[in-house]
Amino acid sequence: MRCVRVWFSKTGLSKYISHLDLNRCMTRAVRRAGIPLWYTEGFNPHPYLNFSLPLSLGAEGLNESMDIRIEGEMENGEILKKLKEVMPDGIDVFDVTDPENTPHDIAFAEYAITLQFCGEADKFLQSSLEALSGKELIVEKPGKSGRKKVMKQVDLLPNIQSCQMEKVGDDVKIHTVLPAGDKMNLNPTLLTEALFKVSGITAELIYITRERLLTEQMTSFK
Amino acid sequence: MTKQMEKLLAKVQKPGRYTGGELNSVVKDLSKIDIRYAFCFPDTYEIGMSHLGMKILYSLVNERDDAWCERVFAPWIDMEEQLRENNVPLFALESGDPLTAFDMIGFTMQYEMSYSNVLNMLDLAGIPVRAEDRKSLTPLIVAGGPCVCNAEPLTDFIDLFMPGEGEEVTNDVIDLLKIAKRENWSKDEFLKKAAQIEGVYVPSLYTVDYNDDGTVKSVTPHGGAPAKVKKRIISDLDTVFYPEKFVVPFVEAVHDRAVGEIFRGCIRGCRFCQAGFIYRPIREKSSDVINKQCKSLCDTSGYDEISLCSLSTSDYSELKTLLPSLLDWTQEEKINVALPSLRVDNFSDELMEQLKRVRRSGLTFAPEAGTQRLRDAINKNVTEDEVLVTCRKAFSGGWTSVKLYFMLGLPTETMDDVAGIAELAQKVVDEFYANPNKPKGKGVTVSISVASFVPKPFTPFQWEPQDTRETLVEKQNHLKSSVHTRKVNVSCHENHTSYLEGVFARGDRRLGKVLECAWRKGCRFDGWDDQFRYDLWMEAFEECGVDPHFYANRRRSFDEVLPWDHMDYGIRKEFLIKENKLAHQSITTPNCREKCNACGANKLNGGKCDAMC
Repeated sequence: MRCVRVWFSKTGLSKYISHLDLNRCMTRAVRRAGIPLWYTEGFNPHPYLNFSLPLSLGAEGLNESMDIRIEGEMENGEILKKLKEVMPDGIDVFDVTDPENTPHDIAFAEYAITLQFCGEADKFLQSSLEALSGKELIVEKPGKSGRKKVMKQVDLLPNIQSCQMEKVGDDVKIHTVLPAGDKMNLNPTLLTEALFKVSGITAELIYITRERLLTEQMTSFK
Repeated sequence: MTKQMEKLLAKVQKPGRYTGGELNSVVKDLSKIDIRYAFCFPDTYEIGMSHLGMKILYSLVNERDDAWCERVFAPWIDMEEQLRENNVPLFALESGDPLTAFDMIGFTMQYEMSYSNVLNMLDLAGIPVRAEDRKSLTPLIVAGGPCVCNAEPLTDFIDLFMPGEGEEVTNDVIDLLKIAKRENWSKDEFLKKAAQIEGVYVPSLYTVDYNDDGTVKSVTPHGGAPAKVKKRIISDLDTVFYPEKFVVPFVEAVHDRAVGEIFRGCIRGCRFCQAGFIYRPIREKSSDVINKQCKSLCDTSGYDEISLCSLSTSDYSELKTLLPSLLDWTQEEKINVALPSLRVDNFSDELMEQLKRVRRSGLTFAPEAGTQRLRDAINKNVTEDEVLVTCRKAFSGGWTSVKLYFMLGLPTETMDDVAGIAELAQKVVDEFYANPNKPKGKGVTVSISVASFVPKPFTPFQWEPQDTRETLVEKQNHLKSSVHTRKVNVSCHENHTSYLEGVFARGDRRLGKVLECAWRKGCRFDGWDDQFRYDLWMEAFEECGVDPHFYANRRRSFDEVLPWDHMDYGIRKEFLIKENKLAHQSITTPNCREKCNACGANKLNGGKCDAMC
């Protein structure tokens, strides 16, 4: 048995597939592909799939990955070829590699966000830039206190690793690196919602693309 | 996907229900298409995507080069709100085009409580709900499914019904519509010609007259329409079309798995069961055909479960051949085989051994009634011994819970019969503790699920009054107070829903205005307890001057003209009358394999019926 990392993008309509549904969808896909899967040995045998980091419903991902377990001989190139043939529209497998990092190594994620406005992009950009250079930007984030679910206050500013914003036509484009992974995770909508709040201007449409996952050393998760 | 749609989807739960794009969904080049067909399931995506009939007809129509079938489901209330607020018409999943762009819009009527959703979906598409307000040929609104054996409450809204099995008649109607479009026929012209197709019911070609007491006096056909509309059946299940691929949903459907249909019809003749009569005669599919079809479905979907589909799995005569041949490859591929609808009277040791080879799920049996006398009356030919022996087998096979289905409100039922349910459940509990090898440290759970009986057309009980809600509540309370152990859980159905179901199941054309009125007041998703508005329904009956008790709680005489008498489902009325009389004497009728009881359904299939071979 060996573990391989399957790299895929999830764009277009497939962004509406939730993480739970993606799990089921990928399980069926790997079964259709006819690759020599390793099955769990419990009462209800199923292929082993482990997604490196779930992607929020509605966000696109360009460098997503999941680990699967293979039994028997098949080269990564062959696995890639077989998987490419069975994917539903919107999910494109583009590489199969031997994992270098573990999902625990994920520390940050890089996002490209496009906000579409009806005319007030300038004002939004200005007040957002002010907010980002201010002292603090507090948001509420669901968290846990012991076992209880509570809302926690988090200051975004020390957590934002980088954030560039520019206006393109009526859109504001944001490029940002935020904490991600099992230690600290900040959903990019926390940032956009906070900026909507301080500016008093809400975008008509929000497009979020997770471009890649990064390690503590700011290198690509591999 | 338009920006507007993206905005809507950002505001609703489970947006994946509205995007389409699933594996194996079919997108075609419009320039090569003559007929666009929107197949509508009047309930949510998760429920509709579980329905085998839709999968069959979707693939069947899409086999044609000249037609494109797309899917439409009832949007959940949050999506409906968004559609209405933003003036977005209801659309089909494959193309995203509004329903008004289609030539034919078909609804499958699986249960009465989905009727209001049909009106709501038409309205959401900006299509007038009443057939008479739609003057042009297209979009033509059609409907099929078990409920159209009495289509009368829907006749105000639907242009054409297809009673019976749809594999052939759907293509016949599409062929005719294609000619009608090319030659610019009027809607009336088309409907008159369509009424000549076997298995097509055009309600506007029939006039219904009523007696002073409110019963139907006569149903008169016009324009050459047949006096009796014969349901369509498929003669040979081995050669009839069956999909090689299912659309595989992203959002989990209620039944999200491969389905192998094994036979149609039922040999049992349980007197309360509509499905047992309207799907006759028995036609079986050969085990090797089923095996191949299941394999293809699993290969193309990646599903890890197959469910065998019929009214009574263990009555399939080739089950002993089918199961081993299925298990041969499904075990290798880690696929689970589910066998729903097992009977207690032929649950063999052998069958249980095979069940143990597949993943263990719950065991469910349906004795339907608590005492032998009542089980005989409803012709559920199952003895208490058989129930107990089966449970004993299950318990010694390692099961620790069983589920038993019952009905309340069956004709001739007394309070003793009701208490009998609790007594039977107690005996099942005792069986568990009598088992010397029972698993240590584990208790037993006997779950009793109790539905309220609704008399249905084309059954021996079609003349019977339905119990009033008051009586049913009394019986439910009596049952609950008769249970003296915590090992037995009782869950009862909601009675308001059963009552309304009873009204519409045996309703006539005068219910159309009630349906429209209730829908205008806001009724839809009536089958969902959290959406059902009984108060609004009662207001609608009141305002329309229609008495629901007349339909639900009245005993009909055998010589009354029933609203569905002009539909021919093969079953002879004399047979149903005989069965009704036997029920009142608690006399059983042997199943069709033991003896042919001359129900008449075999004449639909040239005299053939697989029960006798």
